Amino acid sequence: MTFIALVSSLVIGIASLAWGFFDEGWGGFARWVILLGVLWLVAVWQRWRWFPSLGLFFAVLAAGIGFWFEVNSYWMMAGAIFVLFAWDMTELHHKLRFMADDDDVRGIERRHIARVSLLSLAGIALTTIALVIQVRFTFEWGVLLVALALLGLAQLIGWFRRR
Amino acid sequence: MQNRIVFSVIVYGLLIAGLASLRGEFIALTLPFLLHLLYGFAAMPEKLDLSVERSLSADRVMPGMDVVVTLKIHNNGAGLDELLVEDNLPGNLSIRLGSPRHLIRLPQNSSHTFTYTVSAPRGRYRFHEVSLQTFDPFNLLELTRRVNLPEHLFVFPDIRKLRNVVIRPRRTRVYAGAIPAHTGGQGIEFFGVHEYQPGDSPRSINWRASARNMDSLYSNEYRQERVADVGIVLDARMRSNMFRNGNSIFDYSVLAAGTLADTFISQGNRVGLLVYGNYLAWTYPAYGKMQRERIMHALASASVGSSAVFAGLEHLPARMFPPESQIVLVSPLIQDDMEVLVRLRARGYQVLVVTPDPVQFEKNLLPDAEEVETAARIVRMERELFIRRLQRAGVHVAAWNVSIPFEQALGPLLMRGPVMGRVL
Repeated sequence: MTFIALVSSLVIGIASLAWGFFDEGWGGFARWVILLGVLWLVAVWQRWRWFPSLGLFFAVLAAGIGFWFEVNSYWMMAGAIFVLFAWDMTELHHKLRFMADDDDVRGIERRHIARVSLLSLAGIALTTIALVIQVRFTFEWGVLLVALALLGLAQLIGWFRRR
Repeated sequence: MQNRIVFSVIVYGLLIAGLASLRGEFIALTLPFLLHLLYGFAAMPEKLDLSVERSLSADRVMPGMDVVVTLKIHNNGAGLDELLVEDNLPGNLSIRLGSPRHLIRLPQNSSHTFTYTVSAPRGRYRFHEVSLQTFDPFNLLELTRRVNLPEHLFVFPDIRKLRNVVIRPRRTRVYAGAIPAHTGGQGIEFFGVHEYQPGDSPRSINWRASARNMDSLYSNEYRQERVADVGIVLDARMRSNMFRNGNSIFDYSVLAAGTLADTFISQGNRVGLLVYGNYLAWTYPAYGKMQRERIMHALASASVGSSAVFAGLEHLPARMFPPESQIVLVSPLIQDDMEVLVRLRARGYQVLVVTPDPVQFEKNLLPDAEEVETAARIVRMERELFIRRLQRAGVHVAAWNVSIPFEQALGPLLMRGPVMGRVL
């Protein structure tokens, strides 16, 4: 189950990013993105534990480059979120190797995938809302908002940790 | 840790890119990552409040026997979705069934029990820690706890049973046993005759001697049977035990020492054990089952070692053995040992050397070739010469071809008793 979820989310994520670039006439860049996806699959096969984090970084970097050069944001966003899902599935796939034959593999897989799917859906919903409701603000307002967001986040994390 | 760094770099990178470009898409893309982070923190328990128990089906076994290890984990704290439990096994233990590592879900106030089966060669194994690790669902945070549960598993040498081993130490102890002493009294073996004393059994009257001398009657005297002090010295020096590619003959020596100790103790003797390796491991002489247990523990823990001080046998502390007692050296022997063994004989000790044959042992490890055969023949001749010199000095030597089981190879010889010149 995990492996199917991993491969399908990776294919969707990489395809979204590649199609976004290809659609804008960036065929060469799209091929690099596809190469990243292929390498990721090889890493899963070869059990290169270090690769998924690097792959996630490069996929988000590709999405960022897409935003910067005004490639279709929805493709970039979908690509990044599905690659994040694939990254999580790769981690779970690795973790499941620790499990013994008599462990409840199915149960752990089912709960984990359900949780991550819900979270990814929430992420997609939030980013879609953020993309639809676009408000123009100045740099100063931006800094203020980011600072407030970071402060709030730190407070929230502190509260969670204390709890 | 690595995941956390990657996530932080991505989130901060996107925020900075969003500020630099004043484009909302960058900020929007941070949202799924922030959601993951927040959920991770929320789902992570504050601490791991777990109690762990480990039990072994047996703590004293023979080599190759299965031992079932049971681990029970109880969660006294918050529910854990993914808990990785790993029992850190001591080296050399091989897993026969199951796994010492499990990924489990452990709700609040619930328990999980799992078992696995191990087996091991001779040795003393210390179980230490059980490591418990829980993660947030995205592997960004982890909480680890190590629970120290010391437990020992002794794998004793696979000793063989011998009915008896005949020894003749000069001095025996006062208690009745199986070794004929140099004192007349009750016994089986004839010792001499003495003039009839009131109280002597009429059955003990030697009528032939009495008929020769009409003045008085004479009674037979028999050798009293007593117990003796036996000191077993196990040679654990690396230079005498190790061969090419890390192969060691030491386990054969341990088997021989264990078998002899068991037999001597069964005969009622007071037995001590000295393991002579990189240090001196001394099990003080004593009688009985408890002593047998102590010696088996010492043999289970014995290992080959090297030391500049104990490279030769000259530091063998002979004064630790009672004067004129029996010393049994179990060693593959090297040429330098000659002088020390002769010196022990000169001090009045009865010395029996049980020597696993290193020539045959090493030859079994080498390919069949004419050169190997010739070399083995030369080394064997040197060794036989060495053993004959020892025997001429009054040291009893029992050489053991290790390709034959101990009880078959040396049993008949040791049960017949030490006769000079016997080499198997």
